[in-house]
Amino acid sequence: MNFALTSFRKDLSRWRQDLMQTAIWFAIPLTVGGLITMLMSGDGAQPHGVLLIADQDESFLSVLIAGAYSAGDIGELISVEKTTVEEGTERVNAGEASGLLIIPAGFGDAFLDAEPVTLTLKTNPAQTILPGIITDVTEIVLDAGFYAHQLFGEEINTIQSLVDESNDAAVAAIAVAIQNKIEVVAPQLFPPVINVEIVGPPATDVQVSLALLYLPGIIMMAVMFSSNGLASDFWVERDHGTLRRLVYSPGQLGSFVIGKALAAAVVIAIIGGLTLVLGFLYHGVSWAKFPSSLVWVALSGVALFSWFAALQMLFSNQNTASVISSMLLFPLLMAGGSFFPLAVLPGWIAAIGRLSPNGFVVDKLTSEITEVGAWIIDVNSWLIVAAAAASGLSICAWRLRSGFAQA
Amino acid sequence: MLKVDELTKNYGDLVAVDQISFEAGKGTVFGLLGPNGAGKSTAINCISGLLRPTSGHASVAGHDVVSDGKAARQNLGVVPQELALYEDLPAIENLRYWGKAYGLRGAELDSRVSEVLDTIGLVDRAKDLPKEFSGGMKRRLNFGCGIVHKPPVILLDEPTVGVDPQSRARLFDMVEAARDAGACVLYTTHYMEEAERLCDSLAIIDNGKLIAKGTVNELRAKLSARDVLQLNGTFPLDETRQAVDTLIERDDLDLEVITQEEECVTLTLSRASQHLPDIFAVISNAGGVVTETILRSPNLETLFLLLTGKELRE
Repeated sequence: MNFALTSFRKDLSRWRQDLMQTAIWFAIPLTVGGLITMLMSGDGAQPHGVLLIADQDESFLSVLIAGAYSAGDIGELISVEKTTVEEGTERVNAGEASGLLIIPAGFGDAFLDAEPVTLTLKTNPAQTILPGIITDVTEIVLDAGFYAHQLFGEEINTIQSLVDESNDAAVAAIAVAIQNKIEVVAPQLFPPVINVEIVGPPATDVQVSLALLYLPGIIMMAVMFSSNGLASDFWVERDHGTLRRLVYSPGQLGSFVIGKALAAAVVIAIIGGLTLVLGFLYHGVSWAKFPSSLVWVALSGVALFSWFAALQMLFSNQNTASVISSMLLFPLLMAGGSFFPLAVLPGWIAAIGRLSPNGFVVDKLTSEITEVGAWIIDVNSWLIVAAAAASGLSICAWRLRSGFAQA
Repeated sequence: MLKVDELTKNYGDLVAVDQISFEAGKGTVFGLLGPNGAGKSTAINCISGLLRPTSGHASVAGHDVVSDGKAARQNLGVVPQELALYEDLPAIENLRYWGKAYGLRGAELDSRVSEVLDTIGLVDRAKDLPKEFSGGMKRRLNFGCGIVHKPPVILLDEPTVGVDPQSRARLFDMVEAARDAGACVLYTTHYMEEAERLCDSLAIIDNGKLIAKGTVNELRAKLSARDVLQLNGTFPLDETRQAVDTLIERDDLDLEVITQEEECVTLTLSRASQHLPDIFAVISNAGGVVTETILRSPNLETLFLLLTGKELRE
C-alpha cells in the first residue's frame, strides 16, 4: 500500500505540470453547459405585441370590443393603442405593431339591428405568434357578441337607449331580467361543478428546470473527458519506458495501478467538483447534496477511468487506442444524457441511455440533485459502480503483467 | 553473484538466445559483446525478469529469476538501453520514486538519493525536470535510477548509445565506481573499446549463440598475436583460392583465411606488414586486383571478425 501512495503522489505531481490539459477537460463541458443554460434559462420574458385599433364608430359596443383585448392574461401579451386607419396601416407595414383592427362607423347600430357588418383586421406578416393570438381573440369576441345578442338583445338595446339618461329603476329592472334569463339557461351554459384534484410530481426542494436537467450530463461530460484522457497515461508511461522499469522492480504492479486510480480520482473530483459548484450556485441546488454528488462523481469517474484504461491497453499502439476510445466517447456522451437530458429523450432512447455506463451515472446523479434529501442513491448503485471500478482496475493490472508493460 | 545456465529464448521458430551460459562474480564487470540483433538485449530481458526464458536458468544473488523472481529483482538494478524516466518529474523525484519502488524509505532513501545525485553529477540540477536535460544528463539520470537501491547486481544494456564523449567517460567512471563498491556488473555493448576498457571478462555472442568467453587477455591470446588483413577489389574465386592455398602452405606466414569472396578477401597472419609484397604478387598472378588494403592489429574486434567472419558493427 505504501507504493500505491508513492505512485499516487508521483502521478499527481506529474499531472500538475500539465494544467492546460486539465483546464481543457474542464473548459469544454463548461462551455457547452454555459451555452445550454443560456439557451434554456433566459429571463422568462413573454412575447409582447401592440394591437392598433382604429375605432371609427366610437360607440358603446366598439369600446367594449377594444376593452376585450386588454382583459385578463391577453392584456399581458397585447397592448392596445388607438389610432387612425392611415397611421395604423403605416405602423403595421413598418413592423411596429402586430395588427390593426378597424371598427367601421355604424358598427354598433348594425350589431344591435342584427345587420351584417365587417370588422377589418390587418396583421403583421413578419410575425406569426402574436397576430395569430389577436386573430383568435377577435373571433372569440365576435362569437361572444353573437350569443350575447341572441340572449340579451332587448336589454342591450335598452341600455344603449339609456346611456345618456339617468334612470336607476330602469337599469335595475333590466338587471333582474338578465338574471332571470341566466337562471333559465344556466344549466346548459355552465356544466355541473367538478372538483378536480391535481396530482403533481413529488415535492422537490429545488426548482427543476430544463437547464437543471442538463447539469448532470454536463458534469459527466467533464468526467468522461478527464477519465479518458487520464487513462491514456498508461500509454504515456509505456512510451517513456517507465512501465518496463517498473516490471524490473519487485512486484508492485497492483499498487502502481491503485496509485494511478487514486490520483485520477483526485483530478476527476476537482474537475467534477468545480462543475458541481458552478451548477449548484447557478441553479440554487441545496449544498446538502454536494458531498454525496461529489463522491458519486469521483467514484464513477474512477470506474470510467479504469475501463477506458483497460480498453486502451488492449490495442497495439497508442494512436489506435486513442482513436477507438474517442470513437466510443462521443456516442456514449450522446446516449448517456450529456447532450440531451435523459428526461427529454424519447422513452426507448432514454432506456438505452440509462443502460450505458455514463447514462446510469447521470440518471442517479439527476435523482440526487433534483429529489428531496441527500444521499438518496441506493446502495446497489454504489455497489455496481464500485464493482465496475474494481474490475476495471483488475484488468489494468492483468494487462500490465501480461505483456503491456514489457512491450 | 550472477549465473546464467543454458539460457534459451525462442520466439516461435526464431531462436533469439541459444543455450548461453556464463558466470560473473562480485566486484567484476562482465561484458556481453555482439552486434545489433545478436541477442544481448533478449538475454538481459530474461535475466531481469522482463521475459520468461524458454529453457535454462538464470539466478541473481542466488535467487532464480523465475521461481524466486521477486527476490531476484530486489537484488538487481537494471539500466535499460532506452531511457526510462519521468520527464515531467524533477530528477530528485525520479530517484526517490524508484528508490521507493525497491523499498527504500526515510533516512536511508534520503541518504542514497543524495549519494546517487553526487555520483551522476546532477546535484545542481536535482530539482529540474529531465525534459530540460541534455541527452548525456538524461543517460546519467537513467543510470542513477537503476542503481539508487544499491543493488549487488547491475545490468547495463548498451548504456552509451547516443552519448557524447564527456558523458560516456562519466558513465565509465560510474560503472567502475559501482564495481569498486562490490557490485557485479553485466555490461552489454557492441563497442569493443568499451569492453576492453571496462570488462574483467566477457562473452561474445552472435546469432543468439555464445561463441567465445574468457578474460580480455585470454581472448586476445586466441588471435596468437596475428594481424588481420582485409583486401578489397576483384578476385576470381577459383584462381584466388588456389593462390591463397599456396600462401597457407608457407610456414613463415602462419596464415588463415577468414573470408574469401569475389570482392573481398580477409586473412589473418603473423607480421602481415612484412609479407604484403609477397601476398600482393600471388594475388595479382591469380588475376586478382587489389583496390584497398586494410590492416588491423590484433584486438577484440579482429577476434570477432575471426570468429564470425563479419564486422562487429554490421
